[in-house]
Amino acid sequence: MDGGFRATTDSDLVARAAAGDGAAFHALVERHRALVYRLAYQFAGNHHDAEDIAQDVFIKVYRSLDRFRYDAQLTSWLYRIVMNACIDHKRRQSPAGWAPFTEEAELQMENTPADDPGPEDRAYGGQIGDVLQCEIARLPPGQRLVFTMRHYEGLKLSEIAGSLGLAEGTVKRQLHAAVHRLRAALISARVTTGGGA
Amino acid sequence: MTGCRLPDSADVELYFYDDLPAVDRGRVETHFRSCAACRQRLEDLHAVRVALASTPAVDTPPAGDWSGFMRCLDRAIAAPGGHLVESADAAAARGADAGTPSTVATPAKRTSATPRTMLALAATLALVAGGVFFAARFKAIPAATSVAHGPRQPVAVHRADARPDRALREGSAEHLERSKLVILGLATRDPHARAEDWQYERTLAATLLSETRLYRQAAVQDGVQDVERVMRDLETVLLEASMSDTRDRTALERVQRLIARRDLVLKMQVVAASGASGD
Repeated sequence: MDGGFRATTDSDLVARAAAGDGAAFHALVERHRALVYRLAYQFAGNHHDAEDIAQDVFIKVYRSLDRFRYDAQLTSWLYRIVMNACIDHKRRQSPAGWAPFTEEAELQMENTPADDPGPEDRAYGGQIGDVLQCEIARLPPGQRLVFTMRHYEGLKLSEIAGSLGLAEGTVKRQLHAAVHRLRAALISARVTTGGGA
Repeated sequence: MTGCRLPDSADVELYFYDDLPAVDRGRVETHFRSCAACRQRLEDLHAVRVALASTPAVDTPPAGDWSGFMRCLDRAIAAPGGHLVESADAAAARGADAGTPSTVATPAKRTSATPRTMLALAATLALVAGGVFFAARFKAIPAATSVAHGPRQPVAVHRADARPDRALREGSAEHLERSKLVILGLATRDPHARAEDWQYERTLAATLLSETRLYRQAAVQDGVQDVERVMRDLETVLLEASMSDTRDRTALERVQRLIARRDLVLKMQVVAASGASGD
């Protein structure tokens, strides 16, 4: 993997890809596809949509190579593109349309579960991990993204805010709301299964 | 949570995720000592972390196989003004030299073509030119002549008037015919069969997956809804079959329920027939 680009920095790969080096672009994809796929899977909850989102991300990366700011981290740029791809994906699924991260949408997102439980809903058999995964799939998209970036990717709130172009307060509220719902799911699962996590 | 100063703040979450400044951490720690409700909140967060850690993060397509993903990406970015990006995975999948550096042209720049690329381009041009030539010839044949020439002519005339999605429909029909064997194999197995008894179908399902996805994406792009729907259903079933855990005794039953609930065999027959006949 990486086709001899192991020691090449992300910025150099972007520069070479933007100059028409296909191998450099592939090295870039191979280096970051797991991160992108993981985020997409966390957002979508199934392989089918995760692949669609991850495809969208790299197509957008490819088409925007010449707009990359070389003083920025590539991963921050990728997070932003992943977020947009997730939002686009959600919008395609719910054509009624919603504007993520506006004040009004934020309020709505904090109180409205996602439309469906996701095709890989496996909340059965008293598996608390499964129940929580299911609840994550039901989180509103904004909360889901912020929670995924904080919990799974380990990003600081300031990094999430910077990557997504949001106010830190918004990110804080999204995280709080997401965790609040997961706690509620945990408590409910404990009642159902009669045990602890 | 009576008397708690933090019920609606995010301080506990931020403390848990180590996202509080030191001075606030001290304040929250002091609060924990006197507030059982917030201590419980913190314990719950640890429990959430433990529970989620038990479900591994998914960061690859099924079976860790990126080749289909890379092939799709290659095709998707071969947009007008661009140039097909050849991945090592895709090249390897087709038996080409995996180590050969690939070429790509961004919308801004384009690399020089290799002899192999030129040859491929020339071959493509020859095929297209030949196709156009024959299509023009068939179209030019008057109806009276075509009757005189026997049963082959209506087909040729029909082809000249073909819908723009004809190539997609024909390709889909062939793909559905190939896939039908696997789907029928899955549908007719004893639902309580051991995993090794239907391993062959599982393997075939995995190999058909990428192509099914390509056809679905092409159908979405061309707005061919019946093909899109059947490819989506097929993809779901193939995914479920290829991903199922070999220890899961109910996996085959689940796949069979999916096939039945979606009337997949019937849909595949209808769409394949319409593609094959050119309707």
